[in-house]
Order: sequence, then C-alpha cells, then structure tokens
Amino acid sequence: MKSRGIVVFLVLGAVLFGGQVFAEEPIRIGLQAPITGSFAIEGQMARQCVEVAAELINKQGGILGRPVEIIVADDASNPRDSALAAQKLISQGVVAAIASYGSSVTEPAADLYERNRVVCVAYGATAVRLTMGKERRYFFRTCGRDDSQGEFFARFAVETMGWRRIAIMHDNQTYGKGVAEETKKYLEPYIGEGRAEIVYYDAITPGEQDYSAALTKLRESNPDVWYYTAYYPEAGLLVRQAREMGITVPFVGSNAVPNEDFVRIAGLEYVAGTFMTQEPLPQDLNTPKAQVFFAAYRAKYGNIPSSPWPIYAADALFALAQAIENAKSIKPDDIAQAMRTMENAEGITGPIVFTERGDRKGVPYAMYRYNEKGQLELFKP
Amino acid sequence: MRVFFEQLVNGVTVGSFYALVALGYSMVYGVMKLINFAHGDLFTLGSYLGYTFLVWRAAWITERAGLWWGVLGAILFAFLANAGAGILVERVAYRPVYRAGRLPLVVSALGMSIFLQNAIMAIWGPRFQVYPGDLVPTASLRFLGLSLPLLKVVILFLSLGVMLVMYWIVEKTEFGAAVRATALDREMATLLGIDIQRVILFVFTLGPALGGMAGVMNGMYYRSIQFSMGWNYGLKAFTATILGGIGNIPGAMVGGVLLGVIETLLAGYIPGGGAWKDGFTFLILILVLIFRPTGILGEKVAEKV
Amino acid sequence: MGAELSCTRRGRFQRFVPVLLGGFVAVFPFLPFVNDYWVDVGFFVGLYGLLGLSLNVVLGEVGLFDLGHAAFYAIGAYTTAIMNTTLNIPVLLLLPVSALVASGFAYLVMSPVIHLRGDYLCIVTIGIGEIVRIIIVNNPWGITNGPNGITGVGFPALGPFVIQTPTQFYYFVWVVVALVAFVLLRLQRSRIGRAWNAIREDEIAAEATGIDVRAYKLLAFTLGAAFAGLAGNIYAAKMAVVSPQSFLFMESALLFCIVLLGGLGSLPGVLLGAALVVVFPEVFRRFASFRLLFFGLALMVTMIFRPGGLLPRKRETLGLDGFGAQGFSAKRASPVRGGQVSLKDRSPVQPLHGSGNRPLLEVQGVTLRFGGLVAVNRYDLAVYPGRVTSLIGPNGAGKTTLFNIITGIYRPDEGKVLFRGEDITGLKPHLVVARGIARTFQNIRLFPSLTCLENVLTGLHCRGSSGFISTVLRTPFQLREEREFMEAAAYWLCRVGLWEYRNELARNLPYGRQKYLEIARALATGPELLVLDEPSSGLNERETEELMEFLQGLLREGITILLIEHDMNVVMGISDWVSVMDMGNKIAEGSPWEVYNHPRVIEAYLGKEEEWVGSTS
Repeated sequence: MKSRGIVVFLVLGAVLFGGQVFAEEPIRIGLQAPITGSFAIEGQMARQCVEVAAELINKQGGILGRPVEIIVADDASNPRDSALAAQKLISQGVVAAIASYGSSVTEPAADLYERNRVVCVAYGATAVRLTMGKERRYFFRTCGRDDSQGEFFARFAVETMGWRRIAIMHDNQTYGKGVAEETKKYLEPYIGEGRAEIVYYDAITPGEQDYSAALTKLRESNPDVWYYTAYYPEAGLLVRQAREMGITVPFVGSNAVPNEDFVRIAGLEYVAGTFMTQEPLPQDLNTPKAQVFFAAYRAKYGNIPSSPWPIYAADALFALAQAIENAKSIKPDDIAQAMRTMENAEGITGPIVFTERGDRKGVPYAMYRYNEKGQLELFKP
Repeated sequence: MRVFFEQLVNGVTVGSFYALVALGYSMVYGVMKLINFAHGDLFTLGSYLGYTFLVWRAAWITERAGLWWGVLGAILFAFLANAGAGILVERVAYRPVYRAGRLPLVVSALGMSIFLQNAIMAIWGPRFQVYPGDLVPTASLRFLGLSLPLLKVVILFLSLGVMLVMYWIVEKTEFGAAVRATALDREMATLLGIDIQRVILFVFTLGPALGGMAGVMNGMYYRSIQFSMGWNYGLKAFTATILGGIGNIPGAMVGGVLLGVIETLLAGYIPGGGAWKDGFTFLILILVLIFRPTGILGEKVAEKV
Repeated sequence: MGAELSCTRRGRFQRFVPVLLGGFVAVFPFLPFVNDYWVDVGFFVGLYGLLGLSLNVVLGEVGLFDLGHAAFYAIGAYTTAIMNTTLNIPVLLLLPVSALVASGFAYLVMSPVIHLRGDYLCIVTIGIGEIVRIIIVNNPWGITNGPNGITGVGFPALGPFVIQTPTQFYYFVWVVVALVAFVLLRLQRSRIGRAWNAIREDEIAAEATGIDVRAYKLLAFTLGAAFAGLAGNIYAAKMAVVSPQSFLFMESALLFCIVLLGGLGSLPGVLLGAALVVVFPEVFRRFASFRLLFFGLALMVTMIFRPGGLLPRKRETLGLDGFGAQGFSAKRASPVRGGQVSLKDRSPVQPLHGSGNRPLLEVQGVTLRFGGLVAVNRYDLAVYPGRVTSLIGPNGAGKTTLFNIITGIYRPDEGKVLFRGEDITGLKPHLVVARGIARTFQNIRLFPSLTCLENVLTGLHCRGSSGFISTVLRTPFQLREEREFMEAAAYWLCRVGLWEYRNELARNLPYGRQKYLEIARALATGPELLVLDEPSSGLNERETEELMEFLQGLLREGITILLIEHDMNVVMGISDWVSVMDMGNKIAEGSPWEVYNHPRVIEAYLGKEEEWVGSTS
C-alpha cells in the first residue's frame, strides 16, 4: 500500500514538476528569413523547418529545461530590410539569431549581430568572404561555401569524368555567380595543363521563361558537360527546353538545383540522368535526426522541403541548441565558444562541426544522379 | 545560317508572347493614358487561373473530348475570368482616381500590382506551380530541319490571329474608331456622343483578357509559373508599347515581336550576352527614342500649339 | 531687412507644427520606449526622406516622370564604396564627391533625352536605372565586385569623432536632410522654383515666356541626382556594404510613391511619405507574408481618397506684407524707377528709334512645310515700331504657324526673320523673348495651378539673373531682384485690373480675365514687340472695346503690337497696317480700308460670312 502511494506521489510530482519546467521563461531565438519578396518560397520554408525543429526540441524538454521560442523577422531579400530585421531581433533580446538567406542580404545583418554580440548562424549564405573576410567571432554557417563546391566539380569533371569542354551557366546573382566563379578558378590549373577549356561562360536572367537563345548558343559551343550553378526553377526550365531542343549534353546542377520542384518543372523523363553536385543527402547518411525531422515535417505540411537551405536553417537551430546545452549558459561568448569547439551536435545533414572561422567543417560534396523515378542516387563512375 | 534562323524563330516565339501582353497593355494605355503596372500581374493571374482549371476540370474534359478541348477550356476560362478581374481592377483602383490626374493613377497602379502579386502568392502559395504534363499537348512537327513543338506553332498562329482580329476591330470598325477617338482626345469624344464608359469597359475587359490568354499559353508552353513572373512581362510590354509608338495598337504588336527578336539575337550572338541582354535592349530603346522619338510606327498624336 | 519676401499668412497653429515636428525629430532617440531598432527606423525615415526630397525636385517641382532615380542613389553609394575601399579616401570627404559624381552622371546621361515627353522620358529613366544596375552586376571594369557587392566601407569621421552608432547615424542623416530641405525651400520661393513649376504646368508656355526649359530641366535632374548621391554615401556608410540588390526598380518605384503620397512639391509631405513607407511595413511585420499585400492596398486607398497627397503643397498666399508697406498700393509702384538696376533694362517706356523708318520685325520669304502640306509660303511681313499690325485670313490660313515661326517654336524651311536688324530665324523661343518679343496663345496657355501673381512673375523670369548659388545664399543681389520682381508683377496686375485676384489660382479665373492675365505675363517680359494671337476671341462687345483701349494705351508707351484677329471691329479700329493670309500665301496688304475693299480678300472670305464678326458700320 505504501509503495503504491509513493508511486502515485512520484508520478504526481513528476507531472507537476514537468509542468513546472515549461512555466519557465522561454529561450528566444530569432529567425531572419525572406518571408516576402522574390525568395519568399525559401523564407517561408525556412520558417516552417525551424518551427518544426523547435517543436521537436521542445518535445525533448527544450534547451536547458526551457522551451525555445522562435521569433521570425522578414528581411524580404533586401539589405535595408535585413538591417532593420536584425536590429528588431536584437532589440527583442534574442539569445541568438539564425540569419539569413542570400549573402549580400546576410552581410549587413552579420555586421549588426557582431557589433551587438549576438551569435548569428547563416543557413543560405555561401559567399566565401563572409567568414574569410572581416573577422567575425559570432558568425557561423551551417551551409557550405561556394569554393568547396566549385573545387569539387572542377576536380570531378576533369579527373573523374574526363570532360574537357566545359560549359558554365549561372544567373548573375550572388550564389549562382559565386559558385560559377569559384568553379572557373579551380579549373584554371587544368586549363593551364591543357586538360580542360571553358567553351561557354554566361548568365541567364532569372525570372524569365524562354531560354532558347541561351541554349542555342550553348549547343553551338559544343560542350562535353554543362554545369548550371544557380537555382532550381530556371534549372528545371533549362533542362526541359534543352532536351526538347535536342541538346543531349550531360547536365550537372549545383546544390540548389535538386529537389522535388526541379523534377516537376523539368519533367521526369528529362530529369533522369542529370547529375548534381550535392552535400551528402540525408538519405545517404541515415541520420536519425533526419528521419524524425522529415516525419514531423511531413505530418504537418504534407511534403518535405523542396530546397536544401531551409534544412540548413533547421540544422542551425539544432546546432545552437546543442551549443547552449554544452555551454550551460545563454551568454553570447559562451555560446560562440561552445559552437566553435563542440563535437556532439547532430543535425539533419549529419554532424555539425565548425571551423575556427565559423564555417561548417567537412562538407564533402558528392556527385549524385537522378534515376528514372526522379530519385537521387549516389553516382559511382 | 541555320543557327541564325533558329534564333530568329526563338525570338519570334518569345516576341509573340510579348506582343500579346503588349497588346492588352497598349489598349489600356492608349485609351486611358494609364500605365497599367498591374497588367503583368493580370497576365500572371491568367496563367494561374488556367492552371487551376486544368488541375480541377480538364482531366474530365480531356477524357471525354480530347486534349485540345481541355486546352481550349483553360484558355477560355482564363480569358473570361480575367475579363472580370480587369473590370474589377478598373473599378476599384482606377475609376476613383481618374479625376486626380496621371501621376496618382501611376501610384494606384503600382499599389494594385503589389496587391495582386501578393494576393496570388497568398492564394496559390509561393511555390512554383507546374502545368500538368499529361494535359498539355506535346507533339512536334518537323519543319525546315527544325523540330517545332506543335504547341509553339499553335501559339504563334493563335497570337497572330488574335492580333489580326484586334487590328481589324480597332482600325476597321466603327467601334474601333470610337476607341481610337477616345485615345486621342477623351473630352472631344464625349462631346461627340461617344459612350466613353463602353470604350473603357471594352478596353479593360479585352486588355486583361488577352493578357490572361497569353498567361495560359505561356504556362502551357513553359510549364512552370510563379507569382512574381508578371513583373518581367509587364516591363517588356511597356517597352514594346513605346517601341511601337504610344497609342498605336499594331505598333505594340510589332514592338513586342521586335523586342523578342532583338533580345534573342543579343543573347545569342554577343559573348557573355545573356547577362547583358536586358541592358542592351534598354539601350537600343533609348537610342530609338532619341532618333525616332515617336516610336517605330509613329505616334498618332499631333499637338497644336 | 529680415522680412520674408514671400511671406505666408499662416495661422499661429500652423506655424507651430513644423517646430513641433522638428523638436520631435531632435529628441526622438532619447524618448523612453525608443531602442536601437526604432532609432534605425528613424534613420531610414530620414534617408528615404532625403531620397524623396531628391526625387521631388525632378518629379514634384518640374513634373518630370522619373522612374529610375535609384540609379543616382546607386552611383552615389558605389562611388563612396569604391573610393573608400580601394583608395582609402575618408567617407565624409566622399559625401560631396558622391554628389558630384552622381550629378555629373545625370547631366551626361539626361542631356540627350531631356527633350522627350512624359511617358517616353519615363521609360528612358526606367531603362537608365536598369542599365546602371546591370552594369554594376556585370562588373565590366572589375570595380564593383558584381552581385556580391563591396564590403568594408568605413564610417564617416570628423577628426576623432566617428559616426557609427545608430543614434549618431540618425542625427547625421537628419542634419543632411535639414540642409537639403533648407536649400530646396530657398529654391522653391525663387525665380528658379517658379521656372520649374511653370515648366511642370505647361512646357511650351514656359518656353514662350522666356524660360530656358531645357536648361532648367537639366538643372533639376542634376540637383536631384546630387541629393540622391548624398543619400547613397550615407547609406553605404551605414550599411558598410553595398550590393546591387538595394537598387532594384522597386526602389525607384518606392521613391515615386513617397513623393506622390506626400504631395507633389511639398517638402513636409515628402518627409511624411517617407515616414509612412518605412514605418508601415515595420509596424505590419506581424502580418508577415501579408505585409506587402496591405502596403499595396494602402497605396491604392491613399490615391483614391487623397490623390493630391497627404500634405499637398499650398501655393503661398502672398500678402506682400513683408515689404513693411501696409496696404501696398500698386499705383505707386512703377517699373520706371531709379534704383531698378538689377532688372534688365527694357522697361516698356522705350525711346523710339526713328519711328516709321526701319521695321522692328521683318519676315522675309519664310516658308514652312509639314510633310507635303505648305503651311506658309514665301511670306513677307514688315512690322514698324509704334504701330499695330494685324494679320488676318480665313481659319487654317497659317497665321498661327507664322507666329510660331516668328517666336521660334518652328524653324522655317526657307526665309529669315529679322528683329531689330538681327537674324533671329530658328532661335529657341526663350531666346526670342530675351530679344524683346512676347506672345500670347490662341488657346490661352496659362499656368493653371499657379496663382495669378506667380503667372506674372514667370514673365519676369527672363529679366532676372540670380542663379542657384545666389538663391540659396539669398545674397543682397537676389533679395533686391525678388523685390523688384514683386513690384513689377504688382504693377502689371494692377494695369490689367487683376490685382484683387493676385492670389487666386489662374485656372479659377473667368475666361475674359484669363486673357488679360496672359497679356500681363507677356508684358512682364518687357517686350518691344507684343504678338497677340486672337486676343479678342471669346470676348463680348464691351470687353473687346476695353481691350482695344488697353492696347492703345500700350502703344502710347511705345510697345509695338502684332496681332492675329478675326474681329473686324478690332482690325479696323486699331490697326495701322493689315496683312492678309490665305492658304499660306499673302494675298493682300495695306491700310485697313484698302484691304477691306480688296477683291481678293473678299473672295477669300466669300462664303465664310461668319468670319465677319461685328458689323462694319
């Protein structure tokens, strides 16, 4: 009898005590994203991802026993709005910020966060200079950098596939041009050795629909491979139009290309056989985090995110959560220190480790290829 | 040479879309002297409406009557719905502002454009929508050594047909004369007994309706649509209108096709041209305006001093 | 002297408001609830206020349709960014440099296109905006760093004092705004501002009143670009990074909206518009994806209910009280006075040079064709000083066309126009006015939204010479010139009996009075030859007689008159010489009675009896 009473007491206590936990003040983490504007789709997905991630974290007891609360600030892909959004988040007392999408939009925000000593983790900003330029002690990013992808492609194209005549197409925006420039840079030694040449290097205008002019020109340059370094909407159109025009050149997309919508836009028949330079996909890493996350996301929204960047945003939250747990403190210096040194952060995209400068360590790229069913498979040459 | 011809066809294709959009634009502009910034977004609306129709009903029609009836249905639906939308836009955003002059109208038009774009995003979501592949004809013709999608040919002929009909209406019928008269001098036209309201109604239903039709054809041809795609077409339409001569309806069509051809040739033949295409197009436009200030087909307005 | 020349009669409350607002702006960062975020919002309100003011010069004052203003903003920002990061020139020093580069660019680029009309100019400015942005993105000379933009722009520093905190930037931008507003206010109430507004109202009339339209349009663009360049510098310094994404077309459209929302030409309105455009989306942040939806709606609603803007510009009610003369009596003022040294010496009282011997105006063999139509065919006309010469003929004969040739609106294909012996063929209208010929128009071309006084003041424009610098600094020279303008304008208004309408908007005047206003404006230019196009049309008998008396009064003061007329009473009544035109040709010439009985003249008018207005008893 007495033992049962003790059990009841303990259960009651646990319930009450558990309830107490969530009466604590939440840890506010800011999310800066383009909710409106030309990249609205990326921003809205990022918000959804981070919110799902936050729910998962809270279900596990929150951070340091306190629930995490996400405060969203729209930066509309506009540097001015970005500065104001960052300022707003800072004034609302966020412990850290996940910001943002677009390198030139992230930069002014990063400066503000740095000046105000708030940890900032970018999820869609791949310009090299964000971490290699000015010194930023509070800036991190969970996404990769333009140069690592460019380097990977250059090496793969020449060494592994023996492609000589290389066509590079981008969209004249920061990410697309960034990867293209880096690729070009890493091809230079090969060009010097005479093992490669760039037969086409041009940009298309994003937001348009008819790329027949560019594609005709591409075809006339007679390339061995066609690397498109920008986003999936245009990539989808390009692939479709190219194949319908009878252009059979192998297509390689950068890591912003492969997703559900790309397959839809380009069409299953044309997507099969296209290559993608991509960080290891969740499906290949089999991370438990990925499975849990996608299940939760799918339950809420009916599908999984169609772009890699929102997933990096969710990973940013996971990284921060882990860092705060490790540091057992919400002071920015402690968090930054923890971020730099931690080794136990698990994200959807695998283990999250940062370099001294704040870059994501060890983002190995791999070459993937779409099969007839519209699924990505690791390519084994 | 073959490449040149091919690029030319490319240019005419994209140009015919510009021309269709410019046509509706130029009509409103010619009669109302209103730069309808919302026109590009009405074009987008049309393509979304066509998409909705196809997803919703077309499978049913296609099963019974065949692919092309589904296509026709989508075009008709967008045409009519857009006509309605056009009237609504005019009533809400423009009519109350006419008496205030041209500049407030521009701001109102900008506001309507922002509103429409975001409304489309709110209703259909920011994702790219894709026209269902099985409901769109994909056959091809072979012609002069080139493989032309049947849809492209149909679109070209349809556009041409529409343009000819519009030309005939505006230039050859009495009502068309009324439209042109209103474009030249609205006050005088009212004094002469022309029913301005009918003219405005005509212009604001047909213009957006044409834009909607162009939107559906665009969606079927290029397959993917997004809420922000209208801005680009709107600007091109404006450029085409100016290029062809303000208030000149055949001019808008010529301007549209010419614009498409110029763009395509620039992108195709200048090294790194794809990135500079828009810049060069504007430069050419500016040069045309400096040396032939009334546009290519000329403006039909003389000012008495 | 200290008194405001163009004194505005304001209620006490209205005088209080700007002080109140100024005070609010000054203490804003120190208000209790205001944190760094709100200070930054305040900064951007100031920045967009500055941009709005810069566009206002072009769009508000002159009415030029500029939808590419962000280009100048971009050039200012990039000039600062490039020169600071590569040449290490201090940012504060680059403030005027950016303004200069932007305005130089505007001058170069707008010169070839400034003559374009309304909507054409609009598309050209859109094009320029896009071309500048595309050049920045494509980075052809390797200085703009393409889509990534330039980072590492320094902070403005004045010696040891560095502007870097939000509060410091806030005050910095608002100080610049105050300076710019000050300059613009000075310009508004000056010869330059009036010229701008006249151009906005009616370009052709402005040119025909002696304003060098092209030069003033360019001045507006250059100045507007300079201010935008200032804004660019401040923006670059604040953000520390510039990228092409900040200068999209939407930015130009937003500036356009700011000016329209506030009210064309209204400085406080523009600042209010900037406040709305910046604060509205911030306040509506909670609506996330619907933010812009509401913004679009707000724009439409504002235009429906307040199309003139939220704080439209009120034309000043000039009371001339500032002269320290109570009950100013216009009769006492006369343009002929000692001390009137700054006005170009061409008062209507003219010593007549050998009257009757040499013609004042000579038209020799002038021909003009429009396509295949010959409008004027080898026409000769001689106008002698001190006399009234009439040009008559059936409608469509080419009379107004001939007038347009004389006054410089058209250039003849053949022939010459000589004035006082000087060849003025093809000179631009404002130069013709400067030489001493003034005109009115058949369809009355006044400046409808300006007051009567302002209309007449524009006529005086060509007789003054104070430029930008002296206007801004309000030199004694400029002050004296303004005073003399006021007095001369007052004189002419009284002369035509419009003194009590001086503060009335021109468009509100009855038709008959509008005609007199136009004549007053023409007379204000101090002409030797007054060219009137159908001055009596639309006037009844009594009014026509008054007009004739008035014209005769002018004759006595030594002004020569050339007119087109249909009213035979006028022609017969006051003409000394009549020239008859039909289908571009001269068919008769002589004294009124000679012409009246001339068979060819009768033949030309035969069947058009309605032309013979008034009986010939």
